This record gives sequence, C-alpha cells and structure tokens, in this order.
Amino acid sequence: MTLDVVLKKSPDAAYRIYDGEATIVLPSHASVHVLNPIGSFVWESLDGRATLAQILDRVVEEYDIGREAAEADLLQFVGALRAQGMVG
Amino acid sequence: MSPSRVAADRVVSPARDEDRVSRDFEPGDDYFAAPREPFGALGLSLRIGLLRFDLTGLSVDQQGLLAERFRPFIDTRADAPAADLTIRFTRAGVDAFLAWPREEMEIYRMGRRAVGPRIAIWSYEFAGSADTATRQAELALVDAGGATFERGAENFLRVLTALHILGHGGLLVHGAGVVRGGRAHVFFGPSGSGKTTVTHLSPGDTILSDDLTLLVPEGRGYAAAGIPFGMAHHRTPDASGCFPIVGLHRLVQSPMVRRERLQGARAVAELASCLPFVMQEEKSAGAALANATAVVSSIPVDRLLFRRDPSFWDVALEA
Repeated sequence: MTLDVVLKKSPDAAYRIYDGEATIVLPSHASVHVLNPIGSFVWESLDGRATLAQILDRVVEEYDIGREAAEADLLQFVGALRAQGMVG
Repeated sequence: MSPSRVAADRVVSPARDEDRVSRDFEPGDDYFAAPREPFGALGLSLRIGLLRFDLTGLSVDQQGLLAERFRPFIDTRADAPAADLTIRFTRAGVDAFLAWPREEMEIYRMGRRAVGPRIAIWSYEFAGSADTATRQAELALVDAGGATFERGAENFLRVLTALHILGHGGLLVHGAGVVRGGRAHVFFGPSGSGKTTVTHLSPGDTILSDDLTLLVPEGRGYAAAGIPFGMAHHRTPDASGCFPIVGLHRLVQSPMVRRERLQGARAVAELASCLPFVMQEEKSAGAALANATAVVSSIPVDRLLFRRDPSFWDVALEA
C-alpha cells in the first residue's frame, strides 16, 4: 500500500467514539474492535477524500511522533483495517 | 435488498422426529405478503420494561397458555400507551421453515433479512416479520400449541424485544439481573461465563433473569428489568418491575475474586459484545453502540473475577 491511496470506512461498520477511543462493530464479521486514540484519529480521518499522505500529515501534527515511524505504523494499521474488511 | 443470513445462535435445539422437513424454506416477501389465517380472535398485551406488545389472533387455548406463562408481564392498564408492536399470530401453512435438525442436537439456527424498517426472522418453527414504521408484525407458527408453539413465540418476541428497546434508549444484555437491597446488579458475559451460577449463589435476592436482562433509561440512570422469555434455567423472573442499576459486572471465572474497573471504549466494547440479536445490521448496531455508550457513561462497569462461592458479592457491592 502506498501513501497516495484513498480509503473510507466500510458502510457496514458501526462505530462510536468515547473518551477519544473508537468502538467499532462490523456486523458482517460479528466482531467488536477497540482502537487506541491515534488509531481512532486515523479511523475518523478515513473519509474517502483524504489520502493516506494527508492523514499522515495530520497524525504527525497532532501527536508527538516522528514521520518515519508514523508512516510505517499508519501503513501497517490501515493494512490491518483493510484485511478485516473495515475499510475499502 | 441486503442479503439474508442464517446464523447459528447458542440455543440448543432438540431434533424433531415427526414430519421432518429436509430442506430449508426461506420465507420471502411474497410469503409475508400472502394472507394467512389467525388462530383465533383473542389477544393480550405484554409490558416488558418500557415496551408494550399487543398479541392478537390467539385461540382460547393460546391466550390461556400465554396469559399464564407471561402472567407478571400482562398489561391491563386502561391508560396504557400505544403498543410498540401489534403482533398477529397466524397459521404458518408449512411444516417447517428451516429444516428440523437431522442430528440429535444442533445449535439453534435462525435466519433474518432486514430491509428499511422491515425485518423478517425465521427458524424451524416460526417465521415473523415486523415493520417499525407501521408498528405491525406477524408471527406465523407451524404448530398451534405445545412446546413448539411456545418456543416459536418466545424466540420471535425475544428478538423483537432486543430490537425495539433500542428505540427507547435501552439494551437487552446477555446478563443475569440480580436485585439486592432494592438495587440491581447486572452480571454479563457470554454463555459459560457464570451468569446462572451467580443467580444460584444469590439465595434470598430477587432474580430478574439468569440470562437476558433489559437495561432501560430511568431518571438520570438506568434500571434493570427481567423479560418473560429470557431465562435459561428459570421459567419466569421473580419480579416484572424495573430496579435502579448500581453496577455492571463482566463475569470472568477465576480462582481470585477481584474487580477491575473498565473505562471508556473498552467498557463499551465489553457491553457491545454481549448484546444479542442487534449486531447483524449496521443500523441496529449503530443504535446499540450509541445506547451502550450512554449506559457506560452513567453506570460503572467492571470485570468481576469470581469463583463459585458468594464472596463475589463483597466485591460487587463496592461498586
């Protein structure tokens, strides 16, 4: 996956942010997921308009993380979301 | 139209030897649109937490059976609010919907299909449809009486309860509801987590349910209520009223007895993982998550490590 990719949340996913953390239910998989605050920030940013590069910019700006580490984490995280069918 | 699904639930169903049907019959929209004969002209009303269901199309025997079976929940109020659903009982006209189990025992199967405000649900002995927009529902039953009739009616009403309490801000939780000193504790978790054990270890307390408990908004908090078709090992709840909830406890069997506070999204997720029948569609799942978040922001939630003795109460009461 590359940073020019644009992804959006699965329309089947129901989620709720509480205290900065997302609880996500994927009905088709009968699964419940909890994301940490940074993961939740990324999740909310996956709106079908922003590229991963733009989301990376926001993460680096919002949190005290080096760009290189943030990029690797972001790609791994989004890859996991896609593998679970939570984004497309 | 969203694809229909047949999912395995956790209820174990005995095989039925007679009139065995070998292939599943999935009732489509044409089935539900066709006219069907009611069993009779009688009815009764149920009050379950904040919900009211009007049951119609009952025969004399069915009315008597259900009136006895649901006795504490019969609603005779003259000023009762309009029913959440009016459910017409009809003769199915088929021997079965899903094929009866071939093996001695199998996990209870149930199919469902949701389109807009309408949902259709079916299993071996029943097929039901409900429309939240018109507040009308039909329950087509294979048998007019006996255990098959009772099970079909209860299974359909159980699912409807889970779905319709969402509109009142409530939840139906896989949990044992126990009232001590006028205040309710809800011990929740999946099958095998110890819900029934907790009720057995609570002699003298009021048992609302050993398996499915309603959480309903009340004042600034929430109250717990039993349902007449949500008991695993008891036929009927000890009480039909609502009791203020002081603690939600996610049961974890352990040699130790300890309470670990669950915060934020983790508490929401633990509760959301124990909400039957509402997580199959995005719309109801979203409503359930919203309600679960509101519950968690109002009531303390913990993981309750417990062993099979009453010592867990000392820890639970600290909540």
